Amino acid sequence: MSGMTTRQALRIARRPVRGLVAGLLMVVFLTPFYLMLRNALMDTKGLTSPHWTWWPSTMHWGNFTALFSDPTLHMGQALGNSLLIAGITAPVSTLLASAAGYALARIPVPGRGVVLALVVATLMIPGSVTFVPTFVVVGSLGGINTLWGIIAPGLFNPFAVLLFRNFYLQFPSEIEEAGRLDGLGWFGLYRRIALPSSGAMLASLGALSFIDSWNAFLWPLVVGQDPSAWTAQIALSTFLTSQTINLPGLFAGAVVTVTPLVVMFLIAQRYIVEGIATSGLKG
Amino acid sequence: MSAQRTHLSRRGFLGGSLMVVAGAVVGCSTSPGGGSSSGAKTTLNVWYHAYGEAGTQQAAMRYATSFTKANPDIAVKVTWVPGDYSSKLNSSLLTAAAPDVFEIGDFNEGMARRGQLAALDDIYGSAASDFNKADLDEVTVDGKPYGVKMIDDVIMLYYRKSVLSKAGINPPQTYDDLVAAAKALTTKSGKGLFIGNDGLGDTPVLAVLSNGGDLVKSGRAAFATPQAIEAVAGLKRLHDDQSIQLGFTTDWWDPSAFTQNVVPMQYCGLWALPAIKTALGDDFGVLPWPAFKAGGTPVVRVGGWTSVVNAKGKNVDAAKKYVQWLWIQQSDLPKDWAQGYGLHIPPRNSVAASADKLTSGPAKDIVDLATKYGRTNPGTWDTAVSTAFNNAAAKIVTGGDAAALLTDAAKQAQADIDKQLAG
Amino acid sequence: MSTASPTRPGGLPSPPGRPANKAAEARRPRADRRAWGAFALLAGPMLIGLGVFKYVAIGWSFLLSLSEARGTIALGHWVGLANYQTLLSAAAFRDSLLQILLFTLFIVPVTFAGSLGLALLVHRIRRGRAVLRTAFLIPAAVSYVAASLLWKMCLFNGLPSGIANMIGSWFGMSAVPWIQSTHPPLYWIVLVTMRLWLQVGFYMVLFLAGLQGIPRDVYEAAALDGATGLRLLRRITLPMLRNTSVAVLMLQFIAAFQAFDEFYNLFSSGLSGTGTAPVQTPLVYLYNTAMGDQDYGLGSAGAFVLTALIVGVTLIQGRITGFGRNEG
Repeated sequence: MSGMTTRQALRIARRPVRGLVAGLLMVVFLTPFYLMLRNALMDTKGLTSPHWTWWPSTMHWGNFTALFSDPTLHMGQALGNSLLIAGITAPVSTLLASAAGYALARIPVPGRGVVLALVVATLMIPGSVTFVPTFVVVGSLGGINTLWGIIAPGLFNPFAVLLFRNFYLQFPSEIEEAGRLDGLGWFGLYRRIALPSSGAMLASLGALSFIDSWNAFLWPLVVGQDPSAWTAQIALSTFLTSQTINLPGLFAGAVVTVTPLVVMFLIAQRYIVEGIATSGLKG
Repeated sequence: MSAQRTHLSRRGFLGGSLMVVAGAVVGCSTSPGGGSSSGAKTTLNVWYHAYGEAGTQQAAMRYATSFTKANPDIAVKVTWVPGDYSSKLNSSLLTAAAPDVFEIGDFNEGMARRGQLAALDDIYGSAASDFNKADLDEVTVDGKPYGVKMIDDVIMLYYRKSVLSKAGINPPQTYDDLVAAAKALTTKSGKGLFIGNDGLGDTPVLAVLSNGGDLVKSGRAAFATPQAIEAVAGLKRLHDDQSIQLGFTTDWWDPSAFTQNVVPMQYCGLWALPAIKTALGDDFGVLPWPAFKAGGTPVVRVGGWTSVVNAKGKNVDAAKKYVQWLWIQQSDLPKDWAQGYGLHIPPRNSVAASADKLTSGPAKDIVDLATKYGRTNPGTWDTAVSTAFNNAAAKIVTGGDAAALLTDAAKQAQADIDKQLAG
Repeated sequence: MSTASPTRPGGLPSPPGRPANKAAEARRPRADRRAWGAFALLAGPMLIGLGVFKYVAIGWSFLLSLSEARGTIALGHWVGLANYQTLLSAAAFRDSLLQILLFTLFIVPVTFAGSLGLALLVHRIRRGRAVLRTAFLIPAAVSYVAASLLWKMCLFNGLPSGIANMIGSWFGMSAVPWIQSTHPPLYWIVLVTMRLWLQVGFYMVLFLAGLQGIPRDVYEAAALDGATGLRLLRRITLPMLRNTSVAVLMLQFIAAFQAFDEFYNLFSSGLSGTGTAPVQTPLVYLYNTAMGDQDYGLGSAGAFVLTALIVGVTLIQGRITGFGRNEG
């Protein structure tokens, strides 16, 4: 009996411990955000001082305005480019994947298995390994320094196709049958029935695609050489690779490029989590 | 690959000079130079890497505007490229978006042999004799020049007179002295010497040259000779002593570590002299990289930037005209470029003679050092070769077998050099 | 995998809307044409895109890898397998392969354990679960570039003002250049902490979804049998999370093998590139070869070696873990 009570005691004691651990971890995870913001509002002298400051006594908001008026950085245009690129990539790539996923799951044509295998095979060859050849292709199509050159290869995501295919495989056929009785063809079935009921999947994969696209680095680095085609990440990266260093500006840049995504993430988080739960990734 | 990424010719002092530029610049970097849009038949795309000194970008735009004024049918679009210049340049050169005129760091003859650069023998004319012979030789491949050297950059050691004399240390004359000085000047609060964030910078090259060796000699990778091996292995002592600053916020081409009292000795370039003077007044001196040992020789590196014409561009003739006009026919503009912002030596003797900021004080000392000890990297020293060498050096200073690593690196480098020379 | 799904394991779903198979057979030719049309319309754009950006790219790259292509991407100067020979004889490339293997072997289990641990923790907390989940997930929105910048310039700055050094100084330690220290290789701490911060949140969400999918009565039944704590975890939770675990492992493996962004941004210093970085990933090496040396033939050969490696390891991993077996 005494064993039971210790166990119970342990269980009760565990709860606050668990809360404490979780709270501590939360602080650790959020610290980098705090540091980013703190540093962005300090001046160089305060930043390089070995004496710790929790929060700048005078806020240097000028770091942010300087960021946008710096003609070598093109931060405003870069943010606009990123927004445009991610804003196009997310919906288009998700729709393309959904359509292909539906076709592969539902439309019975001979040779579908081969097509599926071809799609899956590209998964094994990860996107960034093919960066040289893809660069060659995009380059010869005239895509260097253009936004479409940055966008195009990212529109075709075999992984999303696979997830959508799994999702549509589990789609109840009764609903489709009802649609068919109403005279819908395959395309109509997809557009009128399958697509509208894949909201959570579309939202979550769309959000993930937006994040990937916004944060992409290697490809935009290689394709967007002209400052007019820079994305926010590339503009930010020049802080790390340029000859002079402007520490507060660098952190202000980080804040500016991270904030839109964090905001989007806070809004879309529910869908992302929900979408993951329905995506077939779970056990 | 054009610019030696690991080598000099990049500058950028004035920490936060981006901000200064921000306040001063009027135009947008990629907009065509003034007076261009009206009636220009050709638009030249001209690339610069992002110089660190305030005012350089505006100067480049100003030159472009003047050129268009003199040649109304040719507009010039100046593109200022911060960050990883050579990668961006190289990938751009594959495409139609390639620049017509661009600059490269230490001249790379492989690019000329591969037909990427246009021969410029027809634009030099009699002015060829006005160029410093070393600078003309540097850009000459098989008897033809493929570029026009814009500026010479001299790189050596800066030291704080007051700090050294307080510690009772004489300016180091040999490598042993340098190692001892760096060690003696290292305290709890700071290191004695800054040669680069990776703890190497140019020092592997300097080590080989300062012991009487060569990097490449007559088309053969020469950095695996016994004296070269001995000298590179010697760099390990600085690491063992932990007397060198690693992981500073900017790299060796920026004098911040020196001017902010982080280190009393730094390897840096002539370009940084104005900033150092502003920060430290007269409390500094300059030295060549010392001889490795008796029988060796002190070294200063001479690098700089060369203006070249893309042979595969659409406007080769106009591009040649631009390079000729700016760097061969003008004299005020090259002088402005050399001493108006940072400090550099003009490769043309007539321009250099009029560069008044180089005639006295530490600037003159540096120019003299360059004349006496200046060494330029061989034209075959491209990234593939230098990476093989530097990779080996990086392993050697942390305890790798110098002879084996350098021999292997030399083998790799030789394969690449053979390919370059085969064209 | 349960009841009403039209799926036959490993096979194709029965076409909807056909009252009987025989009737379907009879109508086949016409239906086929329509099906083909819809299939082409729906899957066509994706297939064309994959064709151009994967298959054509891979084909061209393969030809380039057999060519001497310096400063050009034109084919024609065939050199056979010379590029592969050069590449495999380059110590730096072999090192990069070895280092990425070690990195993967280390980072994958650590990320796996970290994200599973977080998920279990968050799953058991009732109050404030949503806040916790958000706090752990938010770093997933940060790019490697921004994180590198923060890690390099603030947390693990080599100066006494760096956060890690400042904390160290409270305990009497002197300032350490974290990113440049090779003895001991402190840069791994920088790389690993950064990747963990960026990634565990996302994988945690995958595990959370899996945990929520475990029926409550399974636990209750086990609890009746007297199972608690670790035993519950080992006997019930982990087996029930099998599919999630396999998917997470796969994703982490591919992500680790493709590491580039943080290595490039942490170790490259301006124009000096990453030539002397203490650790190079194969992708960084290939980037330098192609974009630095303009050697596109060699770069392409490297891409193929790396692809072969990834395919090989994926297949082995698939063999061991049975990924894809439950698919469809």
